[in-house]
Amino acid sequence: MQRRDWTDIIGGIALILFGIWFHFHARADYSLGDLRRMGPGFFPAVLGILVAILGALTIIPALFRPGELPVPKIRALVAIIAGGLAFAWAIEPLGLIPATVLLIAIVTQAEPAPPVLRTAILAVSLSAMAVLVFTVGLGIPIPAVRWSTFGWGY
Amino acid sequence: MLGFGFATAFSPENLFYCFLGVFLGTFIGVLPGIGSLATISMLLPLTFHVPATTAIIMLAGIYYGASYGGSTASILLNLPGTPSAAVACLDGYPMSQKGRAGVALFITTIASFVGASLGIVILTMFAPKLAEVALLFGPADYFAMMLLGLVAAATLAQGSPAKGIAMVLFGLCLGMVGTDVQTGQQRFTFDIPYLSDGISLVAVAMGIFGVAEVIGSIGRIRSGEVAAQKITMRSMLPNREEWSRSWKPMLRGTGVGSFFGALPGAGGTIASFMSYAVEKRIAKDPSRFGKGAIEGVAAPESANNAAAQTAFIPTLTLGIPGDSVMALMLGALIIQGIQPGPRLMTEYPELFWGLIASFWIGNIMLVILNIPLIGLWVRMLRIPYSILYPAILLFICIGVFTINNSYFDVLVVMAFGVLGYAMTLLKFEAAPLILGFILGPLMEEHLRRAMLLSRGSLDVFINRPISASFLAVTALLLLFAIYVTIRGARKPVPMVVQAATPDR
Repeated sequence: MQRRDWTDIIGGIALILFGIWFHFHARADYSLGDLRRMGPGFFPAVLGILVAILGALTIIPALFRPGELPVPKIRALVAIIAGGLAFAWAIEPLGLIPATVLLIAIVTQAEPAPPVLRTAILAVSLSAMAVLVFTVGLGIPIPAVRWSTFGWGY
Repeated sequence: MLGFGFATAFSPENLFYCFLGVFLGTFIGVLPGIGSLATISMLLPLTFHVPATTAIIMLAGIYYGASYGGSTASILLNLPGTPSAAVACLDGYPMSQKGRAGVALFITTIASFVGASLGIVILTMFAPKLAEVALLFGPADYFAMMLLGLVAAATLAQGSPAKGIAMVLFGLCLGMVGTDVQTGQQRFTFDIPYLSDGISLVAVAMGIFGVAEVIGSIGRIRSGEVAAQKITMRSMLPNREEWSRSWKPMLRGTGVGSFFGALPGAGGTIASFMSYAVEKRIAKDPSRFGKGAIEGVAAPESANNAAAQTAFIPTLTLGIPGDSVMALMLGALIIQGIQPGPRLMTEYPELFWGLIASFWIGNIMLVILNIPLIGLWVRMLRIPYSILYPAILLFICIGVFTINNSYFDVLVVMAFGVLGYAMTLLKFEAAPLILGFILGPLMEEHLRRAMLLSRGSLDVFINRPISASFLAVTALLLLFAIYVTIRGARKPVPMVVQAATPDR
């Protein structure tokens, strides 16, 4: 337990920063117009202010009540996001199977010490399923493996 | 008209997709750690390949199928499969500890069927009338109605009203990204060509409900822990006393559920907790609740299934989604080129009546899936989450990639996954955000049109009786929210929701 409710204080600060940025970006780059003929900047500019106000309303009561400090699960977060990014990087140049294997190899690291054999079985079976459903079944224009990238052109 | 609907729903393709929907719905409803929101967003890309009616029939099947399956894990593991099934833990799990798990599972299915059937009847009766009224709405009325829906979603949801409203507004901001319809101006696109059509709804939903939910669930979901409970047909049959105790709560639950389901912004979770509270209040001996009272299982289950059906009333007649699943449903319609609203019923009768007819078919399929085949689902609960989540992530990544065959969409999903996880940590609700995101562009358009028509005079919102009454209700809701916040006492119902669903 902390003396202040840091969860809402952090959340409120994030809202205020976002709201202010959104407001000024809308005002600076898009025309506001007037009530009769609103420009593209009008609605976003108002929204930005409202977000900042609600951020403040979230912070104020949180200053006077105890609460928890949020603790992120760094390992799970990093592993899963990294797995997704690796998939995005691999899918076009390498093909569906390499992208799938990369994704599985990385995201299973979200839990400490995943059994290697289980990961391998998962990677093989999910690759097979992905190729059957998406390449064969739905006919997406991504080959199972893009051999030309690996130097086996045909 | 319903006969015409059945003709549509009984086509082999629609029957197949209806079955696929309710089957998948039950599957993901049973499994904790993946909900109907994540599943519907994962399947949105697949629905581009089928006609609109078929797509909606399948997506709807996932939604009400999940509300059947959700209570299974509540009863057997004391871990809700879906948020609206959280209340089924309170008495379902004690029943299971007393060796009455089979009866609890049987009664939840019957209660679900009763609630859903009456919900469909109410939907069939009221939707056409409401659509007629809605034809009179002008732009100002639409704006006021959307405002009411958003404020209701934000203030009636769990947690603090200020944070709920903040999330609605944040969603509205995200909805601004893309090309402004009226001037062609690029807004918040930062010269990234992918963003000129706006942020993809599928990517936002998959990130916030799929990826973020997986990150939050890792290490939290115990699995493979189902005690070797054998659920036989024989053990499922309730005795005489259990029957006579449950039928009235089922009807009351249906009433409560139908009402809350049709309200914009309320939905199944609130409905199920309300009906539990009602049962406990009118019971002769409230102390039985929490110790395996069958009423405490029957009423909320019929409530959340009735709500799952009546939630379609505002969605299909007004184009206003009642909750975030309905928002995705609207998104799916819009992607298919169908503008939801009061004209939907007359312009696309085969969609409207076909969908309603498919509800009947789907619910009968669900009874079969959930009573004779219950053993299958109980076995599913033994799948460890460590095997499940890589498959979920893979499906998300491939699914979103196939929309435009672009890796950029995968990056957007991951960005929203991080955002969604941050929101979970900071206890912000994701549902109001999605509502705001979908309604944002529509609201802005109606506001600008209303202002253009009234030559910039804000009086139009007060002079029109429809818009004035929507705004009055909105003001009342806001006053209520302020009152609740100042009193410092959180509403008791959401507290139970939070207790029963840790982290989310």
